[in-house]
Amino acid sequence: MTIRHHPSDDMLQAYAAGTLDEGQRIAVATHMRTCARCSGWVSALEQVGACMLERLPPTAMSMDALDRVLGRLSALPPPPAGAIFDDVPGLPAFVRRYRFGQWTWVGPGVHLRPIELPVDSPTRVFLLKAVPGTRMLQHSHTDLELTCVLSGAFRHQGGYFGPGDFDLGDEDVEHQPLVEPGEDCICLVAMQGKLRLSGLLGRLMQPFVRL
Amino acid sequence: MSAMAVEPPSATDAESLSRLIAAVARQDRDAFAALFGYFAPRVKTFLIRSGVNESGADELAQETLLVVWRKAAQFDPVTTGATAWIFTIARNLRIDALRRERRAGTLDASFDLEAFADERPPPDNAIDAAQSQERLSAALAQLNEDQARVIELSFFEDKAHGEIARLLQIPLGTVKSRVRLAMSRLRSLLDEAR
Repeated sequence: MTIRHHPSDDMLQAYAAGTLDEGQRIAVATHMRTCARCSGWVSALEQVGACMLERLPPTAMSMDALDRVLGRLSALPPPPAGAIFDDVPGLPAFVRRYRFGQWTWVGPGVHLRPIELPVDSPTRVFLLKAVPGTRMLQHSHTDLELTCVLSGAFRHQGGYFGPGDFDLGDEDVEHQPLVEPGEDCICLVAMQGKLRLSGLLGRLMQPFVRL
Repeated sequence: MSAMAVEPPSATDAESLSRLIAAVARQDRDAFAALFGYFAPRVKTFLIRSGVNESGADELAQETLLVVWRKAAQFDPVTTGATAWIFTIARNLRIDALRRERRAGTLDASFDLEAFADERPPPDNAIDAAQSQERLSAALAQLNEDQARVIELSFFEDKAHGEIARLLQIPLGTVKSRVRLAMSRLRSLLDEAR
């Protein structure tokens, strides 16, 4: 698999630093799952973080800190909760433990499946599935939209996007993605914006038009 | 016994730290106390500078080392440096803590670190952690003082950019571009070293 489109260096740095919001973190982690280049760079950045950690001056721990931890060593960690979602391949394991909504029709040939995040995030995450030949109009959003292709492919002015490819849209981008022939295109989408949950479905239905 | 009474590891090179983690995987409590003595106070500083309050940072540093105990058997010194591994644990606990806005004293055993277990493909070309650490140190050494500084400071929240600006006496607006520049220089130095 040749991956041609990657997250920006800023985004990978924020991933390594742990300062991405949850929705964006999921999109980058999904990409890194197949991209040796980006995961190698993030590992390098984590080593930089390690150098930073080693150079920090120590702050004295509370007097009983070690004793308290020693007292807890034999306690068992809590078992991971929740069912594993494995309907769609290509998602990182931690994402598959999140709650997935149902596939919902949002327009001709296009279905959406929301992923429920365990924490508040300004970014909403969902799977988007479109049949070959679907032309999607770029909907407007006030902020970033990150897309990682899981299967199938689409193409727009920015190039060809196949499995593992990472696409970034913002208010300046006016792409019209066209789903490539062959199989359904399934993407993980992390979208920031001011859409409200109550009006979500209606607002989402507008942008998808089949030609 | 107090934390103060524990001797930190005499040598803190990557190899001896990795050996300590291997010993912890065999349930060696003395090795654990030594790791605790070295890492917990540094993790605490990292957390305080990330905006966690003092007692919260103390608790989270304890929690970090507790995770080290539980996961030591999964640590692979061939692919990951000891400090890098512990850095990622501390970072993930910080994400978890900051986003839940936990208050000091409410920490329990409910940390869900599995929620951070990303999967990574093997690197392009097979190099081990020691080699890549060596390359990285060489690349970092080629950066100038300011570049190395902004890269280190970029591991903190965005709000720390004001602090970077103050420390380096540069306008806030140039901090981001300075970080970006330093990063791309580091990246090209690493690419050259391949």
